[in-house]
Amino acid sequence: MSLSRFLIKRSLQGLFVIWGVITVVFGLRFISPGDPANVLLPPDVDPEVRAQVIAELGLNEPLYVQYWEFISGIPFGDLGLSLVTRTPVASRVVTKLPATLELAIAATIVAVIIAIPLGVVSATRRHEPADYGATVFSLVGISTPNFWLGVMLILVLAVQLNLFPTSQRPIGIDGILLLVLDGDLGAAADGLGTWLWHITLPAITLGTYFTALITRLTRSGMLDQLGRTYVRASRAKGLPETLVRYKHVLRNTLIPVITVIGLQLGTLIGGAVITEAVFAWPGLGTLIINSINARDWPVLQGSLIVVAVGFVLVNILVDALYAYVNPQVAYD
Amino acid sequence: MISERTIRNLRRELNRSFLAKIGIAVVVLIVAMAIFAPFISPYSPGQQNLENARQPPLGFSTKETKEVTKMDNGSVVIEDGQVVTETQTVYTNASVAHPLGTDGNGRDILSRIIYGARTSILVGLFGTSLAALIGVLVGLSAGFYRGRVDDLLMRGADIMLAFPSLVLAIALVGVWGQAQAPIPDPFVVSGIAPAFRSAIGLSTGMPDTIVLPGTVIVVVALVNWVWFARVARGEALSIREEEYVKAARALGASDGRTVLRHVLPNAITPILVLATIQVAAIILLESALSFLGFSGADVSWGFDIALGRQYQSTAWWISTMPGLAIVVTVIGLNLVGDWLRDALDPGIEGEGGV
Amino acid sequence: MANPILKIRNLTTRFFTEEGQVNAVESVSFDVEDGEIFGIVGESGSGKSVTALSVIDLIESPGRVTEGEIWYRNEALAEEFRGSRPAAVDGDFVDVRQLPEGVRRSLRGPSFSMVFQDPMSSFNPSLTVGEQIAEAVEVQRRARSNPRSTRSRTQGYGLGSLIADTLLPSQSYVSEESMERAVELLDQVGIPDPEDRADEYPHQFSGGMLQRAMIAQALAGEPDILVADEPTTALDVTIQAQILNLLRDLQEREGMSILMITHDLGVIARMCDRVGVMYAGEIVERGPLGEIFDAPVHPYTQGLLGSIPDVDDPSTRLEPISGNVPSLIDSEMPDACYFADRCPKAMNDCLTRIPEYELDGRHSVRCVLAEREYDPTEAIDSEVLADD
Repeated sequence: MSLSRFLIKRSLQGLFVIWGVITVVFGLRFISPGDPANVLLPPDVDPEVRAQVIAELGLNEPLYVQYWEFISGIPFGDLGLSLVTRTPVASRVVTKLPATLELAIAATIVAVIIAIPLGVVSATRRHEPADYGATVFSLVGISTPNFWLGVMLILVLAVQLNLFPTSQRPIGIDGILLLVLDGDLGAAADGLGTWLWHITLPAITLGTYFTALITRLTRSGMLDQLGRTYVRASRAKGLPETLVRYKHVLRNTLIPVITVIGLQLGTLIGGAVITEAVFAWPGLGTLIINSINARDWPVLQGSLIVVAVGFVLVNILVDALYAYVNPQVAYD
Repeated sequence: MISERTIRNLRRELNRSFLAKIGIAVVVLIVAMAIFAPFISPYSPGQQNLENARQPPLGFSTKETKEVTKMDNGSVVIEDGQVVTETQTVYTNASVAHPLGTDGNGRDILSRIIYGARTSILVGLFGTSLAALIGVLVGLSAGFYRGRVDDLLMRGADIMLAFPSLVLAIALVGVWGQAQAPIPDPFVVSGIAPAFRSAIGLSTGMPDTIVLPGTVIVVVALVNWVWFARVARGEALSIREEEYVKAARALGASDGRTVLRHVLPNAITPILVLATIQVAAIILLESALSFLGFSGADVSWGFDIALGRQYQSTAWWISTMPGLAIVVTVIGLNLVGDWLRDALDPGIEGEGGV
Repeated sequence: MANPILKIRNLTTRFFTEEGQVNAVESVSFDVEDGEIFGIVGESGSGKSVTALSVIDLIESPGRVTEGEIWYRNEALAEEFRGSRPAAVDGDFVDVRQLPEGVRRSLRGPSFSMVFQDPMSSFNPSLTVGEQIAEAVEVQRRARSNPRSTRSRTQGYGLGSLIADTLLPSQSYVSEESMERAVELLDQVGIPDPEDRADEYPHQFSGGMLQRAMIAQALAGEPDILVADEPTTALDVTIQAQILNLLRDLQEREGMSILMITHDLGVIARMCDRVGVMYAGEIVERGPLGEIFDAPVHPYTQGLLGSIPDVDDPSTRLEPISGNVPSLIDSEMPDACYFADRCPKAMNDCLTRIPEYELDGRHSVRCVLAEREYDPTEAIDSEVLADD
């Protein structure tokens, strides 16, 4: 199978999963106790008003009509209206998205930059202090709930030492870009500083589990690869040790690590939800939690769809990268 | 089901690994703490004592300055028609009565950690069992029947995996509400624990029910079964091709019997290893739900961390202590998981987490 | 007179494992001469592969070469180290073990190279075969253009290089010329359509074709000595003969020497000029092929030869050697001839360690029968010895 056919096949699978995701989210409406009209209206409401609201929401239509109404708008970005604010769900989700994305990306970058060299050092200096340090770090890192880590970071670095703010996101990357486009570079630089100052603790909170996980995977993968015969063969043909370690061993180690990073992006988004709750970070997670508390189901459904579809798309991207770096998958 | 060779491998790996010993010790300790909570807990987890609120843990003391009304011989001092206030420094010292301190309502933190272990262990065990049950059923059928059944079930699993587990769990708990099932605590109802406590001079009045967070258990199982399905399917696919399984089928053994007698016993090792890691992941998930206030549990490590946040500038220990309990428990479970994985080599990677 | 390129003296390699110290190679000595094929034959676990790895300096932890010298004839190196390390130089020979680490590494490729048993696991599965051979060419090309003193700097390769190498073809470690040379080498070892095959991955090759590619890779540095560790064991019988012929042709064409490690006496008979028989980490008998095959002295060699069928005389019964390959764990090794417990001719004299006896200049044996006749009255019950 050629690379492009592999990617087409993978995309079709992704489309199927996206359809499934939307259908599952649609089904969520039927497992909630009581109908949405009860959320909107006081219990002693005039039955006529009630019937009117139900008709307006389309809740008296046959199931397939409701399903079609729900699903047909999604390709055009129509996720319905919020029950509470009566504004389009899509625009609410889109305004919250940058905050979550920048948090997730910052955490991933920090994790990859720290974890891969740490894993390499740990594997190549086995049974030395650096290895023990990295092993303990990764064990504690994967065992620490990130919300508690966030609370502790606030406690020590924000409340006691006053080095960082406890919460809030006064400016985002989107705001900084707007300043740059306006040509106000001084303000943009200030904004960047503020942004970095505010995102540091949330990014550490979200990234620690990830860092620990990638360190662990890199270390064990590298140890596994170092024991392979091809490593000995590479040394036998006279390759310098750095070339053996990086070009051969690390490359083969990173191939599965990339897949796991892709699979764990869901965990990252889940972690972002709770990190946002700790730091009052105004992203998708905060939106999801608020929509549950307000029983605003369309907002919850829309957010779930955006999160899950994003996850599927990122995974297709990861698979494409994987196939490019390691073309043999396309042939299997 | 567990062969002698397996036991030998487990023992050899245990002798070799210091960390595995620590892991087992921690897990045994936490489980014992959860089971025998009504015997060893110094107080009832709900017992308030506002006089004694925010007492620091042993080894620490706090200094607080507050404005108080100035008193002179038992009467309020008034100057220029105003009540006079003065600053007073209040020292709060630790006491042996509350080794880990007290929370904002004067409840004993050690007692709450001991009872919180029950919530974590119950959700961890029941949630993992339910997830394993669903996952193994789905995975074995998919792997054993292959073809369309397999495609259907595994695409379903892909759809489940597209939702981040915490997000899906929040959504499901949010939609379903927080059903809880109180079950009687046998030690308290039978009178053993109260008798033991009065005999050694501890306060009585321990809660007589264990609260089982029903929705949370179902939800964590629903979001985590997929990992079991994947492992079980892989095992079923490979074992199905073994000669003795083919022979059993050729001899007319029913599908159910073949799976139970031949496929399941062989799949048990990787499922066991996965289950250990999943208990840790589910405990983390439960604590996250409790932290966000979605679980409905009022004695839970995650919930207590959230409660402590309003005191973060004055009483750091209220949030810190339950978090340490989570970290220690999960480290213990991960070490046991590593031990099982190294000894049994089932060829799976750990998944999940918050 | 034959001219040795390699003189191994008292080479001893031990593994320090959790189960105890393993004496994998015990005081092994032999010469490899210019343009000859020297064979080492033995059962699995006799230490022959560890000997090969020790010679090429690829023993990994927990193993270590603890003693012995590896004298390699190289005038340039001898000249370079005559002043600074006189103990490491003897005439035109240098003792590889006494040279600095960097120099030893630089010998792999142009001086020594190796062909492994299983070609499928000896290639990196995620790089093309052509690129892997080109790497071996490239490393020599860069070595020639840089004096040794600056080499470590110019050959650095880190995480950044990996990313650039993976994503941008122009940043590749191997140059165009090296790729072309790799294709030439593939052609030389008889791979059809070498240009296309160079761009394929190892799993797209058959076992025999991949072993040819492995040989091409080993030839990239134009080595003086090729170490071939069971080069045909993993292959089909029909392919085995082709690979052996290829090795023979290449050896004649390039004038290199081959150290052939195998458990297969057929391979030895077909390929080798001289042979050493290994048992329990020792070379128990060593000499020209004809003498070892026609007039073996050591009972182990006799047993080994007796356990292969004779095509000319199918009526003779095969006599397998009774007993098992001995443990190489130091604490379990007897203070006697290691073969005594399996030896049909064990005598009281065998209960001490046996020195190497020179029969004549070219044939030596580690057995008392080199000096005396077997006397049944002095026989010891080998079964009793084995139960100790």
